[in-house]
Amino acid sequence: MLLIILLCVPFAASVLSWLVKKRTLVLESLAAGASTIELAAALSLAGSVAKSGPYSLTDSFSVDPLGAVVILILAIIGVVAAWYSAGYLRAEVEKSIIGFHRVRQYFVLLHLFIFAMFFAVATTSPTLMWIAIEATTLSTAFLISFYNNASATEAAWKYLLVNSVGLLLGFFGTLLFLSPAESAGLTDWNSLFAAAAGFDPFIAKIAFVFVFIGYGTKVGWVPMHTWRPDAYSKAPIPVVALFSGSLLSVAFLAVLRFKLIADASLGGDFSANMLIGFGLSSIVVAAFSMLGQKNYKRLLAYSSIKHAGIIALGFGFGGAAAGAALLHLIYHALAKSALFLSAGNIFLKYSSTKVENVRGVLSALPVTGVLFLAGFVAIIGLPPFGLFFTELSILAAGIQYHPAVSVIVLLALALGFIGFLRHAVAMMFGEREKRIAPGEAGVWTIVPIIILLAILAAASWYLPVSFRSLLESAVLAY
Amino acid sequence: MDFFSAQFLFFVQTLLFASVIFMHLSKKSASVIFLYQVQSLIVACLLLGSALAESAIFPLFVAVVVCAVKVVIAPHFFRRLTRELQLKFSASTYLSGPLTLIILAALTAFTYSHFFAPLSTLNASNARALLLAAAMMLAALFLIVNRKGALSQMIGILSLENAIVAFAFLSGLEQSPALELGVLFDILMWIIIATVFASMVYRQFGSLDVTAMNSLKEE
Repeated sequence: MLLIILLCVPFAASVLSWLVKKRTLVLESLAAGASTIELAAALSLAGSVAKSGPYSLTDSFSVDPLGAVVILILAIIGVVAAWYSAGYLRAEVEKSIIGFHRVRQYFVLLHLFIFAMFFAVATTSPTLMWIAIEATTLSTAFLISFYNNASATEAAWKYLLVNSVGLLLGFFGTLLFLSPAESAGLTDWNSLFAAAAGFDPFIAKIAFVFVFIGYGTKVGWVPMHTWRPDAYSKAPIPVVALFSGSLLSVAFLAVLRFKLIADASLGGDFSANMLIGFGLSSIVVAAFSMLGQKNYKRLLAYSSIKHAGIIALGFGFGGAAAGAALLHLIYHALAKSALFLSAGNIFLKYSSTKVENVRGVLSALPVTGVLFLAGFVAIIGLPPFGLFFTELSILAAGIQYHPAVSVIVLLALALGFIGFLRHAVAMMFGEREKRIAPGEAGVWTIVPIIILLAILAAASWYLPVSFRSLLESAVLAY
Repeated sequence: MDFFSAQFLFFVQTLLFASVIFMHLSKKSASVIFLYQVQSLIVACLLLGSALAESAIFPLFVAVVVCAVKVVIAPHFFRRLTRELQLKFSASTYLSGPLTLIILAALTAFTYSHFFAPLSTLNASNARALLLAAAMMLAALFLIVNRKGALSQMIGILSLENAIVAFAFLSGLEQSPALELGVLFDILMWIIIATVFASMVYRQFGSLDVTAMNSLKEE
């Protein structure tokens, strides 16, 4: 029942949103209602999985502990993004940037995007998962080109092209993985895992490389990351929060599922080395890119690439680092979504995404400014937030077996910190232009960020026993 | 069955591979679309033949849908696009013609090298055709990278998908018909969305040449 709710509610909300003819309030209520129901279902599902193990609807739909964690991330970011969307789009309608039809298009596609992500996580079929992840590309392309200007169209075209090529390569890898586990019906993860020992090692290697490149494009690892800064800088902010928090987690889940199959066939070293290699390159390239960044949305995009690298590194190191990496995935989703939503408030006030045009945020937007700073402290990995502990745990695990990698990562993190700090200080402090009147856009653009940061702060220090056991079960195989 | 003898399949795969090579050489949009149509027709015929040989209804239905989507609907969309935007010639390439051919030859040689040889173990009887399908994949990827025109890039992506379908067919990695329909639905949506985007790109930049897209560089 819970999975039916999770799959049907966003789809139904999308169809119903499409049928709405006039009132924006109905669209907002639909989004808020649907996302709240999804969150309730996700919480119950996670509780059930923590208590009784995998939750199955049919042979084709089942949620294991790792899937439950990702569904929980999707639902939390989903509800916050939906609530925030109401306030954000209202402000844009007031400024005459968009009209009702655009708002309706936004909500129809937003629900479809969320539906596709839930579907990708819940299915047991690698092919269905591929179809669902491709559907996320198709449903979000028009969200990136939402503002219908030249740069948004360019970003959306790049996104569509790069992700389509990446996912086709991922599809080829998936087909290669399915070769020894042929069956008349659907091939699920379990049968694939059972057949993994009989894989031709060379085919398994080729298959994993293609899958890694395919879904890695969606994760945004360097060098497949090129679409990310462009898409993040052009899409509406709540969608970017979903990209950074949720889509990244879903794509990561796909890579991790195939990692298990590859490991059963090849041993752990091959996939671990790939994760470490791509993780390291992502961290280093992102750190340098952050240093010279002029656009704060792109700055946050590069920060996401860096954190995708850190998570890859954690799963590459394995053992305790894998547990820390999963926690990092959760904390990053919360912190980065909060930062993007705060950046959305800044954009609403200053109508610019250029760092040089944004000065004195703390005086213009006192609440948003404080929230942005809190998100900034969290994302760069300073205590008391959990990202500090997870980064420390990953590096501590890495220093034993991969000291050179760990040292390079440490230096890159320091570089990223300097880059981020420089821009954050410039934006938060400094003298506000006289044309910028102080005052927040509204309660709907503030409360969701506070909720995210409150969950992050609480989860940094205390995890309920049931959730802890869920996390332990989720990373047991890694 | 003789219809699907290794020699016949190699011949068919050669035609598919040649279609991508001719796409690289073609300068006119209409020719590129026609080549994609021929390529898709060959893939659809393969699936149709396989379904008829097995006397299976569902795969037959899938083959008909493949034919409808790739041979009829997609070329129709592309032709309408070229008519509306008056695109007689597709945009130029990054590399010159001779250099393009040299790289295509190198890519083909690479797929027949020792490195890719184990791929042929997926179906030893179609080993040569399988490697040619892999070469077709690389050639399609190169088409996407080397062409400056958005339309050619779109057709490159669809050719890559055709190459994967051909590879799956030759190696016996076909999915269940239900899943194939799901993948086809995604492809159909992709074709519609990509065509709409191509129109948007033209409206914004006055050209389908992707090198004209430089508004993000200014940020």
